[in-house]
Amino acid sequence: MLDNLASATTKPKMSARDVRVFYGPKEAIKGVSIDIDMDNVVAFIGPSGCGKSTFLRTLNRMNDTIPIARVEGDITLDGENIYSSSMDVVQLRARVGMVFQKPNPFPKSIYDNVAYGPRIHGLAPNKAELDQIVENSLVRAGLWNEVKDRLQDSGTALSGGQQQRLCIARAIAVDPEVILMDEPCSALDPIATAKIEELIHELRGRYAIVIVTHNMQQAARVSQKTAFFHLGTMVEYGDTSDIFTNPREERTRDYITGRYG
Amino acid sequence: MTATPQASAPASRQTDWMGDAMQKRIARRYAAERRFKFLGLAAVALSSLFLAFLLVVMIGNGAKGFVTTEATLTIDLPAATGSISPDQLTEPRLAATMASIDVRRIFDQAVQAQYGDDGARYFASTAWTALRNQLVENPNLVMGKTSFWLPTSSDIDRAAKDRSTPEAERDYAALTKAGEVRQSFNMQFLTGSDGTDPARVGIWGALKGSLITMVVTLFLAFPVGVLAAVYLEEYAPKNRFTDLIEVSINNLAAVPSIIFGLLGLAVFLQFLSMPRSAALVGGLTLALMTMPVIVIAARNAIKAVPPSIREAAMGVGASPIQVVFHHVLPLAIPGIMTGTIIGMARALGETAPLLMIGMRAFTTTPPDGLTDPATVLPVQIFLWSDEVNRGFVEKTSAAIIVLLVFLLTMNAIAVYLRNRFETRW
Repeated sequence: MLDNLASATTKPKMSARDVRVFYGPKEAIKGVSIDIDMDNVVAFIGPSGCGKSTFLRTLNRMNDTIPIARVEGDITLDGENIYSSSMDVVQLRARVGMVFQKPNPFPKSIYDNVAYGPRIHGLAPNKAELDQIVENSLVRAGLWNEVKDRLQDSGTALSGGQQQRLCIARAIAVDPEVILMDEPCSALDPIATAKIEELIHELRGRYAIVIVTHNMQQAARVSQKTAFFHLGTMVEYGDTSDIFTNPREERTRDYITGRYG
Repeated sequence: MTATPQASAPASRQTDWMGDAMQKRIARRYAAERRFKFLGLAAVALSSLFLAFLLVVMIGNGAKGFVTTEATLTIDLPAATGSISPDQLTEPRLAATMASIDVRRIFDQAVQAQYGDDGARYFASTAWTALRNQLVENPNLVMGKTSFWLPTSSDIDRAAKDRSTPEAERDYAALTKAGEVRQSFNMQFLTGSDGTDPARVGIWGALKGSLITMVVTLFLAFPVGVLAAVYLEEYAPKNRFTDLIEVSINNLAAVPSIIFGLLGLAVFLQFLSMPRSAALVGGLTLALMTMPVIVIAARNAIKAVPPSIREAAMGVGASPIQVVFHHVLPLAIPGIMTGTIIGMARALGETAPLLMIGMRAFTTTPPDGLTDPATVLPVQIFLWSDEVNRGFVEKTSAAIIVLLVFLLTMNAIAVYLRNRFETRW
């Protein structure tokens, strides 16, 4: 597994080394090492409760909010340890954006949803630039044409798929480097799912993208690299095509052929 | 594809959905439903009945308190005052003029002239002050002979409204016959303060006292309560110490209000030597009482904000304080407002703690500031209900109406604000 890490030609955007997460005495993540680069969408697959979401949330320190959670090991963003005291967690979360399982737009207007991040980080010196950021983000999230005439409508009045794209627009509005997606399509119908997947394709290369999914077809469709998690460990990490056609591990093969999970 | 053999289920009996036993069970279930509906309806009807009874009785009794009985008194002012000019009754010279002309004497003489030697029994003992007020309001009256409408004695007032002593009834009949009596809206009740003569007392002093006290309470209890709730929910570590604080706050909300009065007496009056009977101290004491209610309501409202909103805000890099002020509090405000309304309504109706800090003072002028002696509406009601003079009965009911109107207005404003916050999203 480590050979695979070392063979990466470009410098990874994020890398984790021997990461362990404890919830109280329970070890939820048992030593995971992984590299995430800019060019590939990485998918985390695995059965429920295997720790893939927990691990994803360590990448932008969302686990900090759980008092009993404790993280060990190193996670770096551009070589800088994100758990070091010099790392500002507020800035980290702007650089490593997140899209959640359930669409969670703020109960504000569509415009304010997207503009919120740029506003609090002071990214736009004036209204015109803020408008531009909002428009660009919505265009990139593939939502602009659907909402451009009703930017002042409530974000929560949109359909589920539109809400999720609004959340993606909100995440990219602060111009992050990495986007973490925690089962972004699990609450959506197939058409909305297809749109999100298409969007992920378009965002690839501009942002490093990590997506957690239960849906193996989705992992195969959107990702270039796949990591298979099981019982808190990362069983296998490699090119998506290899994982799905020629897995090295018995457990991976059993999972992707539907033997358990 | 799992190879585990299925445990063979025992041969199940077919449920008889149409059988008698099942039909009976269904009938019983519907009967229970009907019973419950009936009980609920009965409870609602009973409480509506009480409310209707309260309103009818209060308005029936209290409405009279807003009406005053006046008798006419004709005075030839140029003769009585020695022809003073109207501008002698305007501001810079008013005090000097009032000192030189004795309004009370003018009043007494006019009464004697018009109604005979014991004519004074027709009028309230303070009627001459009403005469003075009318003169000051309209100085041109001194130019001629004028008929003034002045408040009658409370015996005649009651004869006009209800039943009174035989003498008063007779006097009232005589006045009515002569067309020298009328009933009019009692402005004095809305603009005056406490007094000894029920015909001349007013509620404004107590209303203003309540207003100032409530403002002090709100400005203290609301921010402190909300900040405490935010700290406890969002920042405080969860440990034994914070558990203890939580239990204490819950207990504090249940402490009888008179205990808070004692606390206010000991802390604000004795230890901090604040002025007795002041609205400031009343507000502080009631704030102590209201704060726990607001803290509990605010904590529950903050807890009810979906965690997904917090995550969303943190996910775009909002700092904890931004999460709280941009997202959590706006969503929690309606709940916080509900708790505040309940707490403030309780504070407004509170009498016991204010008696402890001396707000039962007899104050004949409305308070002008935080430290002036003041009383509040419920205490005023309590004081009037204790008066011997029968004329205070209707004043008590009228004061209760004013208190209820104040309460409803306060709640209506709060509900309006709450709805505005809610529909903003």
